[in-house]
Amino acid sequence: MKILKNTLINFSINHYKLATLLMALFTVAMCAFFPRVEIDTDPENMLPKDEPKRVFHNETKKQFSLSETVVVGIVNERDPDGVFNPATLKRVYELTEFAKTLRWQDGERIDRLSGVIEVDMLGPSLVDHMSQGGPGEIKFEWLMSRPPETREEARAIRDKAFSNPMLKGRLFSEDCEVICIYLPLTDKHLSYRINTELNKKIEQMDGDEEYHIAGVPVAEVAIGVEMFSQMAVGSPLAMAVIFCLMLLFFRKWRLVILPMIIAMFSVMSTMGLMIALGFQVHILSSMIPIFLMCIGTVSSIHILSEFFDVYTNEKGRKETIKEVMNTLFVPILYTSLTTAAGFASLTFTPIPPAQIFGAFLSIGVMIAWLYTVIFVPAYIMMIPKRKLENFGMSARQKEDRSLLTKTLRATGNLTYNHAKPLLGVMTIVVAVAIWGTTQIRVNDNYAKRFVKSHPIRKADMALNKHLDGTYTAYLILEGRKPDKLTEKEARNISRNMVVFADQIEAEFKNAPELARGITKIIPGLAGQSRSYEDFLNSIIRHIDQRRENASDDDFYAYDELRTYIGVEKERLKVFKRPEVLEYMAALQHHMEESGLIGKTTSVVDAVCKVNQEIIDGNPENFRIPDKLQGVAECYFQFQQGHRPNDLWHMVTPDYMSANIWMQLKSGDSSDMKSAVKAVDTYFKENPPPVDLTHRWAGLHYINLVLQDKLIPTMLRSFLGSFLVVFIMMSFLFRSLRWGLLCMVPLTITILTIYGIVGISGKDYDLPIAVLGVLALGMAVDFAIHFLQRGRGKYGETGSWKVTTAMMFGEPARAISRNVLVIAIGFLPLLVAPLVPYKTMGIMLFAIMTLSGVITLLALPALLTVAEKWFFKKVRKAASPPVKGPGKFTPSEILSEESEG
Amino acid sequence: MKTTIITACFGLFIGFACVEGQAKELTVDEIVRKANHMALYQGADGKGKVTMVIKDKQGRIRKREFNMLRKNDDNKDRDQKYYAFFQAPADVRKMVFMVHKHGALEKDDDRWLYMPSLDMVKRIAAGDKRTSFVGSDFLYEDISGRSPAEDKHELIKTTDRYYVLKNIPRKPDNVEFEYYLAHIDKKTFLPMKMEFFKKDDRLYRVIESIKVEEIQAEENGKKVAYPTVTVSLAKDMDNGSSTEMTFSNARYNIGLSSKIFTERYLRRPPRKAMR
Repeated sequence: MKILKNTLINFSINHYKLATLLMALFTVAMCAFFPRVEIDTDPENMLPKDEPKRVFHNETKKQFSLSETVVVGIVNERDPDGVFNPATLKRVYELTEFAKTLRWQDGERIDRLSGVIEVDMLGPSLVDHMSQGGPGEIKFEWLMSRPPETREEARAIRDKAFSNPMLKGRLFSEDCEVICIYLPLTDKHLSYRINTELNKKIEQMDGDEEYHIAGVPVAEVAIGVEMFSQMAVGSPLAMAVIFCLMLLFFRKWRLVILPMIIAMFSVMSTMGLMIALGFQVHILSSMIPIFLMCIGTVSSIHILSEFFDVYTNEKGRKETIKEVMNTLFVPILYTSLTTAAGFASLTFTPIPPAQIFGAFLSIGVMIAWLYTVIFVPAYIMMIPKRKLENFGMSARQKEDRSLLTKTLRATGNLTYNHAKPLLGVMTIVVAVAIWGTTQIRVNDNYAKRFVKSHPIRKADMALNKHLDGTYTAYLILEGRKPDKLTEKEARNISRNMVVFADQIEAEFKNAPELARGITKIIPGLAGQSRSYEDFLNSIIRHIDQRRENASDDDFYAYDELRTYIGVEKERLKVFKRPEVLEYMAALQHHMEESGLIGKTTSVVDAVCKVNQEIIDGNPENFRIPDKLQGVAECYFQFQQGHRPNDLWHMVTPDYMSANIWMQLKSGDSSDMKSAVKAVDTYFKENPPPVDLTHRWAGLHYINLVLQDKLIPTMLRSFLGSFLVVFIMMSFLFRSLRWGLLCMVPLTITILTIYGIVGISGKDYDLPIAVLGVLALGMAVDFAIHFLQRGRGKYGETGSWKVTTAMMFGEPARAISRNVLVIAIGFLPLLVAPLVPYKTMGIMLFAIMTLSGVITLLALPALLTVAEKWFFKKVRKAASPPVKGPGKFTPSEILSEESEG
Repeated sequence: MKTTIITACFGLFIGFACVEGQAKELTVDEIVRKANHMALYQGADGKGKVTMVIKDKQGRIRKREFNMLRKNDDNKDRDQKYYAFFQAPADVRKMVFMVHKHGALEKDDDRWLYMPSLDMVKRIAAGDKRTSFVGSDFLYEDISGRSPAEDKHELIKTTDRYYVLKNIPRKPDNVEFEYYLAHIDKKTFLPMKMEFFKKDDRLYRVIESIKVEEIQAEENGKKVAYPTVTVSLAKDMDNGSSTEMTFSNARYNIGLSSKIFTERYLRRPPRKAMR
């Protein structure tokens, strides 16, 4: 340690130009990678690529051809018919036609277009309408093949739309005030371009309508844009704020500019390194600059603060800085290490953006440490001596009379004279805070990341007010074909085929005899079959052979028997079975009734609607047919429309998986969680008629998966870093009890912060979750500085009373300055239009302030109360284990006396 | 085109020049008329088994199988009757789709649907014929044929093998395409390829004749061979799906009775014609 220290400090002081050059070179080299920056706003990436639920989500998207979708909502709250008036419908039509053209050549591939997927678009002019024509006549047509001319025509379109439950609450609102156009995209990254084009078009349109553009891809892009503005505006603003604060404390811009340089260079090096290593900038890592800006200045502020207090013209800069570095090298190294360890613990979470954030923050902290150690002395050496005149002492005299100094002295006295009541109050605070943490509600909401005035948030509120929810999750039901054939099943097939043959005897008089002929070879076929399906196939093949050379009469009878087996085979496709559809219908009904889900859509709705129209259009026939063949016919007829492929968004072509679209009215992940629970309970209480598994997909669900992981993983990583920091502290102080003492302020701080989160009802989301770990790494710094120097001084004075007085001189001032600089330095996050940034800003401000205050209150109070217990060893061992300040500077004695 | 003919005329291959000379006499309308006849009206009647294999973007396959009967009402290549009896999937077997096609533009086709599970006959209201045929990439109109009177035709190119016609709909509101190109085989006059375009000349749909077979038949006591498309492929570029339609057991001039094509026979398919 000593060697490291001396090497670094001597290098820096003796070769200050080289040291500066090295730092500048590395930074410039890293900056060269900036143009390669890539932004990642994909909420999916919150989970690792191989996370099973994410894998399933993507499989589902592929299986059901689901695309990321931009939603355009057209609102008319003024017209008595709402949006169903000729003028509005004309605009809707125009906008739909325009949206169809939003496609561009896909890179170099001439044959491929990317953009809006026209065939999957939804809009009033793009969907089918099935209805009754004349008596006994069924009619297939577009819902709105062209915009209506008159009010009557517009109302007719409204009535048609209302007759289709699959469109209600999705394509248009039941209050008739909103129509939506859904634009699925080949690539969600195109949403920015599409959004821009749509807005251009909308600007040209007249009329009273309001237009809203929503959907996850749009929100993602908006977050990306805000991230850039945050980095471009927030970080420089933080820098400016920190600069002003420091100027206020130190008054010498030549010195104040030093921490700024260090912070800036650390930020640029770290971000450059991150980009160079090919990592994308995520919403969390976009906060690295502002974090480093604050943390990077801390150590140099400590040095400056000390330098400021110790410097005298007689000693000169070289000696002074040597002395200062001697005093502060160890605490600065440890504070950096603990901070880095705190951040590094994030790499153990299963959340990739948090891993990257943690890893690069800790790298950044160590870069800042290195820059501080090699550049601060170098910089001071570069300042012309005369510029430091009137620095230090004289300025410090002024400082002595400042409000900060007075307050700190009073605080010092308070901790010594009223230590026990003070600790009592803290115990109560901790007790309340612990209760508060039990009240924490885990929740996240993608839309609520935007401030209320943001267009995305406005669109979200407007559309959810009218529609049955715009947040979509998919409940995927999967059936299984039996992999084995039982003897009983084989017998049943035989028996039932004969029963069937007897039933058709009137029409096919040979059927019973032929059927009995087949049953004779059935046991043999069953023996050779691997599965039930295989068995049925072998019967069909067998019938085909017999049929080939049969007489006409036999041929037709065989045809019937073959069909009978064929239908049995179709029955294996679970989503053709009426009882399975009935089960789904009941589940959907249950979910809608529970209020957890705004609207559900599935093949059940499609089948019911087709059944209703192919019979007579009577609403009572909006039901599931009784027979499998009836269901099959409905599926068949559905595919005869303009959009046969819509079916495959709801069921797979093998009819083994079905997708229930669940629309939620709120974007809260906690509501999604309730829905998931409700479905689980339903399945438990109402076993499905066949073996069905249920799993969820959809971005909204993915968000919940992340939320569910937050508390356990963050708690784990918090405890991990707590342990690491504790070990480091015990090592630093060579004492378990001092190590433990060091953890006290941050424990109280973090408990209090989460207590407040719990009590205030603020949602516990990702930014809040990572805060705990961040706070740990940063809050421990103050305790290290306080205890390190407190022990050193105690070793010299031998009395805590005297030491207290000294501690609330320069060391407490350094801590307070740091607290103020960092805490206020984070406040520029508040100007960001994204809520997570604001939250971070406020929370960090609170954490820094609290931990500073608690360090200055709890530690001296505890040491006052348990002086003997803590200082027994220190007194014996004096100072050697800790390479603290070896000597007592006259200025400190002075300050101690003046307090007298 | 003119230059081709001139070059050919000056050529030494008389036979070749003769073919070209014959082509010279053909007007666009004649090509269209012949192509229409070859595609839809050969023989007085006919039957066959149709198998459709629908393949989606992901390569998942669905099958359809039906027997098809057709009868011309006259020799004018106008009115026609179609009868499609579904065999597979098994759960829709016996479903029947019947069309009385009217050549006259002002008269809509009559269409019926028989649904065996409900034992119910439904008429399909007049209107849009550009909906999917049984969920395949073929549209109703592809099966029963689009009347030549619906489009304006233009011969835009003649190649060694094909006349390439550009067909522009007279009522663009009724269809989803802007125009389509038809490649008509010069020898057989069978349409070999139809390419449908949307705005900005974007090709989005193609129907190709993959295989043509000569089907032997008797016409007025004489042996004849009807060139028949037995395998065709419809591709939908927008959906990324395609459908292969195979026409097998094709027979012509089998003497189908008109009464088969009536509502009564929807419930009880004519057995003999079905095997």
